Amino acid sequence: MSDETLKESQPQQAPPEPKEPRPQEHPAAAPSPTDAPAAPSAPPQGRPQGGRPPDGRPREGRPGEGRGGESRGPREGGREGGKRGRRGFFRKKKVCRFCVDRVDYIDYKKPEQLMTFIQDRGKIVPRRITGTCSRHQRWLAEAIKRARNIALMPFGGAR
Amino acid sequence: MEERLYDLIFICRPATPEEEIDKMIATLEHTVAERGGKVEKKEKWGARKMAYRVMRHREGYYVLMVIRSDKSDTVHELERRLKVSDVVIKYMTVRLDEDMKRQKRLQHRREKKAARRPRGPRPAAGGGHGHGGSGGGGEQPAVAQQQQQ
Repeated sequence: MSDETLKESQPQQAPPEPKEPRPQEHPAAAPSPTDAPAAPSAPPQGRPQGGRPPDGRPREGRPGEGRGGESRGPREGGREGGKRGRRGFFRKKKVCRFCVDRVDYIDYKKPEQLMTFIQDRGKIVPRRITGTCSRHQRWLAEAIKRARNIALMPFGGAR
Repeated sequence: MEERLYDLIFICRPATPEEEIDKMIATLEHTVAERGGKVEKKEKWGARKMAYRVMRHREGYYVLMVIRSDKSDTVHELERRLKVSDVVIKYMTVRLDEDMKRQKRLQHRREKKAARRPRGPRPAAGGGHGHGGSGGGGEQPAVAQQQQQ
């Protein structure tokens, strides 16, 4: 019971504090008092919610934030796309190293060259990371497996 | 059977005396010759560290032989001998002719492509322009600064 009293006491204290954010958002004054009495059981969260009661407002605010991306449309996806662009999510196009060097055959007897295509634990690096084309990745995997077989390359880690 | 090309790699114990290894190679060569094949290449890589332990050895003496043969039992016999041998701790035979055929085909195709449209002068001309422009741009401001000073 004492907890509830505490909770009740907090919401009472709550209203004065929200006043600080209010000046920034005038309409927030109306919803926050209404919310506080409506949900006294969860007062500690009442303040954050007090900030949110603007739940009706955020919708107004979001379009404002998304103004840059509005050209793409009101969809959320469009907004994310915009963020992505802003944060520089750009990926450099990877080029298959073997294609650049015009490799027709990957020799399993040269483990020094193949070593760059395995991870510390001996895994073959997937081609989404190295950018190797499918054909060369196939040859590469073959070569690595042959090299492993004759102890030129490790199966897993360096021992 | 058409002729096939094989890589035969085997690893000997690192402590094996050189003569033993030579003897092993001679035996294998003999086996191949018996069946009408030929040894195109034999390389002794010498002792090198293995990527993992084999028969409790960390090092091994690698020997590579490239064999051409059209008898189906050649590889069988070679592998049998390697298996029986005490000095050999690991061996592998890889059929190479199909890979080589593919490589040759690709090379051939590439050469044909290159012959169809030679591109020598174009990149050279572009490079020349680039150098000229950048050089001139760099010199002019430098001169102007000197005059001001």
